Parts: sequence; structure tokens; C-alpha cells
Amino acid sequence: MSKMVNFGIDLGTTNSLITKFEKGNVEVFKNPNGFKETLPSIVGYRNDAILVGEKARTYAERDPKSVISRFKRKMGTTETMKIASLNTSKTPVELSAEVLKELKNFIHSGEKPEAVVITIPASFDTIQSNATKEAGELAGFKNVILLQEPIAASLAYANKEKNIDLRNSQWIVYDFGGGTFDVALVKIVEGELTVIDHEGDNYLGGTDFDANIVEQLIAPALQKLGSFDDLINQMKSESGKYNRLWTTLLHKAEEAKIELSNKSSAEIDLGLIRDLEDDTGKSIDSMITITRSEFESIIKEQIDATAEMMKKILTRNSLQSSDVEFILMVGGSTFIPYVRKRIEELMNISVNTSIDPTNAIAIGAAYFAGTKEIRGDKNQEQARSNQGSLKAKFSYNRNSQEPAEVFQGRFEGDLKDLFYRITRDDGAYDSGLKKLSSRIVEDLPLREGEFNSFTFRVLDSKNNEVDVGGNSIQITQGKYSVAGQLLPEDLCLVKDDIGKKDTILELLFSKNSVIPTKTKKTVTVGKTIVKGSEDGISIMVVEGPSENHSSTNKPIGILAVGGKQISKDLLKGTDIDLTFELSESRDLSVSAYVNGTGQEFSQVFEPKPRAVPVKMLATEILSLEAKLQSEQKEADENGNRDASEKLDKLITKVQDLIVAAGTLSDDDVTDDRFKIEDQKRKIAQEMYSATSGKRVDVAKSSYQETKREVAELVNKNGNDREKHAISAIFAREQVFLNSTNPEKIQSEVDELESIRFEILARDPEFLTGMFMHLVEKRTAMNDQVQAKQLIDNGRRLIDQESWDDLRIVNARLWSLMPTTEQNSDEMRFFTGII
Amino acid sequence: MKYSQGLQVSVPKYIFVFANNLFEIEKKMAINGDTGNFSRNIAKMKESLEEHGITYENPEGEPFNETRTDLDASISGTGTENLYVVDVIKPIIRAGASGMSTVIQKGIVVVESRNKGESNE
Repeated sequence: MSKMVNFGIDLGTTNSLITKFEKGNVEVFKNPNGFKETLPSIVGYRNDAILVGEKARTYAERDPKSVISRFKRKMGTTETMKIASLNTSKTPVELSAEVLKELKNFIHSGEKPEAVVITIPASFDTIQSNATKEAGELAGFKNVILLQEPIAASLAYANKEKNIDLRNSQWIVYDFGGGTFDVALVKIVEGELTVIDHEGDNYLGGTDFDANIVEQLIAPALQKLGSFDDLINQMKSESGKYNRLWTTLLHKAEEAKIELSNKSSAEIDLGLIRDLEDDTGKSIDSMITITRSEFESIIKEQIDATAEMMKKILTRNSLQSSDVEFILMVGGSTFIPYVRKRIEELMNISVNTSIDPTNAIAIGAAYFAGTKEIRGDKNQEQARSNQGSLKAKFSYNRNSQEPAEVFQGRFEGDLKDLFYRITRDDGAYDSGLKKLSSRIVEDLPLREGEFNSFTFRVLDSKNNEVDVGGNSIQITQGKYSVAGQLLPEDLCLVKDDIGKKDTILELLFSKNSVIPTKTKKTVTVGKTIVKGSEDGISIMVVEGPSENHSSTNKPIGILAVGGKQISKDLLKGTDIDLTFELSESRDLSVSAYVNGTGQEFSQVFEPKPRAVPVKMLATEILSLEAKLQSEQKEADENGNRDASEKLDKLITKVQDLIVAAGTLSDDDVTDDRFKIEDQKRKIAQEMYSATSGKRVDVAKSSYQETKREVAELVNKNGNDREKHAISAIFAREQVFLNSTNPEKIQSEVDELESIRFEILARDPEFLTGMFMHLVEKRTAMNDQVQAKQLIDNGRRLIDQESWDDLRIVNARLWSLMPTTEQNSDEMRFFTGII
Repeated sequence: MKYSQGLQVSVPKYIFVFANNLFEIEKKMAINGDTGNFSRNIAKMKESLEEHGITYENPEGEPFNETRTDLDASISGTGTENLYVVDVIKPIIRAGASGMSTVIQKGIVVVESRNKGESNE
């Protein structure tokens, strides 16, 4: 039994908090300077000093190029932020680490936590999650556990409202923070919180409202007050004349936004902005008034979009509004009265504002941290096992809704003359001295609604304590725990599809599966890899819907096994056993056992941050538009009106994106390019699902045709095994033909094809035909002497009707063909595994 | 100052006197009835103690076995199985914030074996 993590951090786009779970309660640490719970996620560099939080904010206006905020939205990208005063750049990970380090100063007890739970939006992909973990490690935490924010918020709620019976109820967590938006459908089953489904937008948050205010309210007002040419672009571009003004106005807009939550209007004093002059050098000093209704009208579209996401979740899970208990509001943006009102109106579900939207996630993180063990320090464990001969293993639930919880212990070693005793630390329970055996079971009584701490001791006959490596048993009664976190998207393995000279995806972990999890797959090597050659196979994992094409999904990592690493040739057809393991913090480790060579390769995937160059983005969007248009034309020609309509909508969306991308300057400082890239990927995925009907039809007719031909061949020349195999395919025909997944149908076609090839390979006519075909190519063969010998031999074998030997001759003749010719078939290998 | 059983909680002795007497008053009222409408005053005093992390509990009717160390029990009768608390001389007093508390005074009780049929469990 080891120590619990206990510390939780909400690393937010605008604000961050740190909390600690202690004996059943959570403490939100306060900033020793100013005593606020929140630390603004802002980092500034001045002279030699690194300023974090309020202090950095102070300099934001005077020196905006050395003060960075909102970097959470750039997590997992290659983007770096230039720091003028340092003349260098910092990554979002480095900046986040500064915030985390500053949060450590909040801990007044002087503890130096080595492990921590850090929350992330449920819709963070693997790359973004890993970047967050990296930031934690950079800040000196040896063990970083990630927790999805909707779960954290629900934990905070469920543990606060202990008196409300939440059993078997479900609700929606509406988490509208500074930079990200998440909605999650959460349910309590048997005392455990589970996220059933979620949606989100990593690029939608309160800071977008700030940008809206600047672009749609302040900029037009400025244009009236002075003469500006291309003001918005000059503000947003890094080299723009007014770039500094952009940051300053964002701060002003944020202040106005907060004011508008309580007042019906807010004023922005332009006179407080240093050196504000228009293009002609005229100084601008005036007040801009923003009314609540003006503000509401510019955020309406974004709020409505969030309601759409909730409706999607309800539809997907066949739920009515009345099935949902309430919408739990968290995140700073839910302070805006209009957000609460509009959501209640649109969803017809009451909104619940009973928890503090600012610190709920951090509190939930601490509750979770209180149930997480610090991963064992290997050295310490080693020392422990050397110390005594007794090995102990304990199991029990850390959270319980019952009046008593079963505790089980297993022991290995010399148990002679040993006893054990369990006492509850509040002095109300003592198991008494009992004889130790290899397996013990105790019912531990729990105090209702409390954190129950027990001490377990092993004693020898002289009543001396024997070390079993930790002796604390901690069970929280009546509070809710987490059943598991969910994977936001499918994780798939990319394999070659020989038939289509393309790749297909094989599902490894499906969306919403509970992590941590593990799976095994066996793949086959598609081409022979010669030892020492440059050639190799790639085990590539992508994130995104499994029915899509790999190119529309995000690459997570590649485990490459090359010719230089293998101890002998890896023959085509060799099986490779793959094990994929996904940790709670979403680290994906892959190990590949190569049956042919007996070697094992393994790797923990470290997804590379995303780089989104503006120029490439524009090209990609244009090619997506072209693809959409050709798909639509095809749908029109085939009279598929439904698909055509869907594609039409997507074309409009992609054209909007073209406009948006066109206005980006190469050195755009905002996160617009990531938003656009995200939307582009979503459109590509929607296109794929809109056209899946077409591909299903193609696959179905290809199946019917192959089925007819192969059935005839099997009837005529097939053996028992082949007859059995084909009837098995026919038996499951109904299932895969009714599926909407073209890849599934295609894989059955491939199976039929392999049966056909097996039969043909025994067929004298086919083998003779193949032989004659190769003879025609004789002049192109690499070794003419050997080719002649083989051909003479082959002719003799045909005369002798020795078909098995002829098959071998054919194979050897094929190997004499020039590699370009052979590769015409093998060109289609992208990964080398099938 | 009186210290609880081996734990690092120190509570002034008058607190025990207060709590024990409050409990006794409650017990008497349960028998004789609340003739003078004192329960509101008792509740106020209990709340005040709770604010300082002190609560007392009446374990009457609860099951008892040898693992319970929050009670000092005298067994009445001959049976030692299926024991229940039948009389409470002193209550259990606990100290600590809600969510995590510690026994600072064991309850002094009389327990008696009950036939399975009589059990109110």
C-alpha cells in the first residue's frame, strides 16, 4: 500500500488552481500573494525574472510582447511564442510548466508533491494530452495523472451534494471555460460516475467572446473614431502595425465581459491605452460603451452551437430532455447570465449552478487524486523486498457506499508465528490479534459519509511489528468515485489493403471505451523484409473514427521495425503479435512480437506536436473542396440526393474555411489556424461518412460478383476445408451486408479471393497459364542461365503433370523478374502489414 | 485536559462534562417527556459543540462485538453471541471536522444477547 497522490490541478486557459485531498475533505490552496484561489494562466518575462499570474498580467499592457496568455489552446502544436525581452521563443509546454511551478508555491504546508492529477478537456486528443503531461513533468512532478474535466466537475458536485439521492440519475456537464468547451453526459451507476458520451470544441471558450468584442464592437468603434486601413489584420498579424493593440484590447474586452455579467453596460476607456494613434498619427482618447444586449447578440451563435452539441449527444443516446436531471454549469463563461438563460431555453432542461464554476474542476481533481496511488518508486520497492521475506498484496475498494467494506490480503513467505491486527484510526474498531495465513478476509466497518483510515499491522510472536511495506488502508464512505475515463476518439491501426492499393483502419480501442485498457492484435507481414536492408514495416496508430480513411485521422505514432533491426529475414506471411496498452493518462505503448525471428520490439508513443503552416493549410483546404465537388458530382450522377445535399452543405462550410484561411497572414499570432485545421479535419470526416453509402454499394456488388464466381469454383474444385470456409462466409452474410462499413464487406471479399487463389494454385490450367506468362517475360529476367534451366525444367514438369513442383518453379521464375516488375505489385505497401 | 485514546486530539475536560450532561438531559427527557420545551435549548447547545467539532452519539440498539473499540461494554445475561446495546450510561464522544473524526470518549454501555428473531437488524 502506497501513498495517495492527493494533489489536484486545474490547468485552465485563463485561470489555474491547485487543491489537496486530505482526510475526506478538499482544500483549495490560495495564492500567498493576494489570497485568491485562482492563478491567471499568464506568464511574463521581464529582465531576468519570470512572472506568473497577476504579476504577469500587470505587465500585459505595458509590454504585451513579453507576456503570454491563452497558451493552453496551442498545447500539442509546434507553435512557439516569441518573447521580445528574452529574444527567444517558448513552447506552450514550457509556459504551462511555469504556471504549474507557480501553483506549487500555493501549498502553505510546505509539502513538495511528486505526483499530481492534472485536468484536461474531455476532447483533448492524445497529442494534446501528452503535451499536458510533459508540462507536468517539466514542472518537476514525477508522476502526472490526467483527468477529464467533466468527470472532475461531476465528482465535485456529487461529493458536495451528498444529501441528494443521485443514484441511477444522469446529467450533462456543461463546461464552458476560458478556452475550451466540453459537454459530457454523466451517469451514476452503483456509486460510480461514468461518462456516457461527450462532445467538445477545443477552440471555443470565453476568450473567443473577448475576440468577438474586439473584432465586432471595439474595432468598428475605433474605425469611427480615427482612420485605420485594414485594422483587424494589422492587429492580428505578428508584424502588423497594431499587433500590440490586439493583446491590450483583448484584456480590455475580458474586463468588459466580466462587468457585463452584473451590469447592463460596460465602458472601455481608450484613453488608458498607451500611444493609441490612428494611421494619420491622430491620438485616440475616448470611451466605448458596450451594452449587455450588444454583447449577447455577438455571442449568440457560439452559444447556440454549444446547445447543438448537447442535442447531438441526446440523439445519439436516444434520450429526451426529460431523461436528463439537469445541466451542471462549470467554467468561467457560465457566469454570463445569457449563457445560462439561453441554454435552459434551448434545451428545456434546468441548469444547475450549485457548484462554484471557478474551482469545481480543481476540487474534483483532488477527490480523484485522493483515490490514486502514487506509482511505486522502483528503488524503494527493491529496498523493501530485500528487507524482509514477507510479501503482501492487498485489495479493497477505496470508495464505498456500503456500511462495511471487504478487505483482502494475500501473503507470501514464512507465515509461521505471525499475527495481524487491523485498527481504525478513529479508535472505534479493532480486529483483535489474529493468526496470519496466506489469504485473509476482513469486513471493515465504515463510518457513514466519512474518510475511514485503518492501520494494518503484521506482528510476530513477541508482538514486534513486521514490515510489509506500508500499512495504511483508506476508504471513503458515501462519496462518489470514477468508474473510468473515456477515450474521446477511436484509436486505429493502419494496415495495407492490397486489393485497393490503399490502407484500411483496424479498430484498436473504440470511442468511449474506459481507460486504462489493453488489446492484442495479430497482423501478417505483407512483404518479405531482408535482414540488413533499408526496408521495413511500420506499425502506425491514428486517432479518429475507424470507418474513415487513415488520412483524415490524426497520426499518434509509428513503431518501425526495419531490416537492420531483425536478426534474420522476415518472410512474407509471418505473423506479428501486437499488444497495445493505453494508460489512464493516455500513453499508448505498443509491443510487437515477431514470430519469425523471436524478437520483441516495443515503444511508448510520443505523439509529435502538430505543425500547421498557413500556406499548407490553404492548399489542403482547396484540395478538400475539389474532392467534395467531385464527390457531389458523382452523387448527382447516381441520383443520390441525400448524399448530394449533405455534400452541398459541406462545400459551403469548406468555402467559408477558404475565406477564413485566406485572411490569415503567414505570421498570424492567434490560434485561428488550429481552429481552421480542426474544422477541416471534421469536414473531411463528415465527407467520408456522407459518401460511405456509395462505397458500401460498390463493396456489396463486388461481394456478389466474387461470391458467384468463387462458389462455382469451390463447387467444382474445392476441398472440404474450402467448402466449409465458404459456407461460413455465406452464413454471416446478412450481418456484414447490413453493416454500413464498406471495409467490413471488403474484408469478406478478400477472404473469398484468398479461397479462389488457393484452389487456382492447385489447378493445372492456371499453373500452366502462369508458367507460359512467365516464359514470355524470359528476356527481362535477371539471370538468363538460371531462367533457361527453370523453363526447361518447367516444360518437363508439365509433361509429367507434376503440378506441385511446377508451382515451385513458377515462384522461382517470379523471383528472377526485375524488382521494378515485382514492385509494381508491392508498390501498394504503405505499412508492410496486412 | 483529557486526552482521547492514544490519538493526538486534546479536548478540555469541561467539554466532556458538558456533552455527558447534555446526553443525560436528553435521556431523561425521552423518559419523562419534554415538559418545559427544552429541546430547542438542547439542540442549540449541541450545535454549538458541533461547531467546535464535538459530537456525541447514542449507540442504543446497535450491534456489539469484540471488534468495536468505541464502546466499553458490560455483558448482561449469559449469552455472548448476537449482542446488542441495551443501555447507554455514557455516550460516544467524537472530535474532528465532518468527514474525519476521532473517538475521544468511549461509550459506556450494557449489552445483551438477543435471539435472532428479536433482532431489529
